Amino acid sequence: MLLVFSWREYPGRPSHLVRTGNTVGGHISHALAGTVLIQGAVVHIVIMGCGRVGSTLAHILEDQGHSVAVIDQDRDAFRKLGSTFKGKKITGIGFDQNVLSEAGIEHADAFAAVSSGDNSNVIAARVARESFGVKRVAARIYDPRRAEVYQRLGIPTVATVRWTADQMLRRLLPEGSEPLWRDPTGAVVLADVAYGEDWVGEKTSAVEEAARARVAFLSRLGEVVMPGPGTVLQEGDVLHMIALEGDLERISAALSSRAPGGKASKGGR
Amino acid sequence: MRVAIAGAGAVGTSIAAELLDNGHEVLLIDKNPRAIAVDSVPRAEWLLADACEIASLDEASLERCQVVIAATGDDKANLVVSLLAKTEYGVPRVVARINEPNNEWLFNESWGVDVAVSTPRLLSALVEEAVSVGDLVRLMTFRQSEASLVELTMPDDAPLAGRRIGDIQWPADTALVAILRDGRVIVPAVDDPLETGDELLFVTSEDVEDELAALLADGHG
Repeated sequence: MLLVFSWREYPGRPSHLVRTGNTVGGHISHALAGTVLIQGAVVHIVIMGCGRVGSTLAHILEDQGHSVAVIDQDRDAFRKLGSTFKGKKITGIGFDQNVLSEAGIEHADAFAAVSSGDNSNVIAARVARESFGVKRVAARIYDPRRAEVYQRLGIPTVATVRWTADQMLRRLLPEGSEPLWRDPTGAVVLADVAYGEDWVGEKTSAVEEAARARVAFLSRLGEVVMPGPGTVLQEGDVLHMIALEGDLERISAALSSRAPGGKASKGGR
Repeated sequence: MRVAIAGAGAVGTSIAAELLDNGHEVLLIDKNPRAIAVDSVPRAEWLLADACEIASLDEASLERCQVVIAATGDDKANLVVSLLAKTEYGVPRVVARINEPNNEWLFNESWGVDVAVSTPRLLSALVEEAVSVGDLVRLMTFRQSEASLVELTMPDDAPLAGRRIGDIQWPADTALVAILRDGRVIVPAVDDPLETGDELLFVTSEDVEDELAALLADGHG
């Protein structure tokens, strides 16, 4: 696959930029961004749904030099792309094999399902991944509870409603962030902490050392994992930490920009 | 048995009535208020809700259902209902309706579908069965086993006419399950001869359907 070759062509580049995998929730935008960060490698991306999100994605990707095909049931929707768009426009159902073939799904590196229908999006995303072997897929799902289920089933989702609600909360509430739990004094919080992909495969004890805070538990495939001495962080794990609220920002920074063992970031921000 | 049916259209309600007559407990779910016609199947439980949403399925206590039937007119909804029923509620048997023949390939175990029923395919199979003589017609497929029920009406010049059933070398994994002759069902025995005009019903694996067709056409196994 193209991504592998590009890694070989750029041996100095960080491997995590091209690593594909089961990215979930908010991480998927990072995964797609990872693809475009590979300079010189032109990838083909199929987008289903030509609404605001679909057309915006199409333009960003095309501006970065990638090839893009957009699928929509409604021919009129393509007007949003404007006259500058050079990629393919295919009118049809996004999970129809012929329509997907016409969009070049066989050689696509990524597939984004961003139509207005949750059902269409999840079906198309699974078809792209399981029938056509597209490694990076993501489905936008409005219904937060279904998004959780799909994510647990290994279908990377972008849960717009939950994300928007969280973002609103963060701006509406004085604390600025919305932890899962806060102790009565308000000083200690239990919060989800995002981490860089380099941490996958590392022990939770190493995470604690770098963050100077405790790992409370991991959510893995819908189950809770209590960290023991040998617990290792796996891809897709949601990391929950107990920390002083004032420390959260520092902890997030430590886990996103720093590789295990305190080495400088391989990601090179 | 407790059965939940998603989609209370003509298909859903007629299945519901049939199941109730057989003594089962039935819950009909539809998201369209106009589809909720309690009088049409008064003995069923009715729920106005979107069967694709977890909250609705929780309310329906789907985990208590032995069978879920996704019978809406929307194939996308049927796939999602099947997936959720199987993965989230562990429903032992999930039956899904296929509306659009192009979507048939999606209805398999990866979407939690145990049995797929294709309305257009059934219709065309029945029509084909009614008009064709001498050709093998697939009436239905048993999803889980990749076996199918096929039918052939023996034409006047059928090479196997007059042959004793026990002498015929059927392909592997093929069973002659019934002979329909003059409106009667005959359970085939080794000494029965085949006659022209017989309707033969076989259960066979999809791999050997061609072999069976060839045998019936030229009489040599």
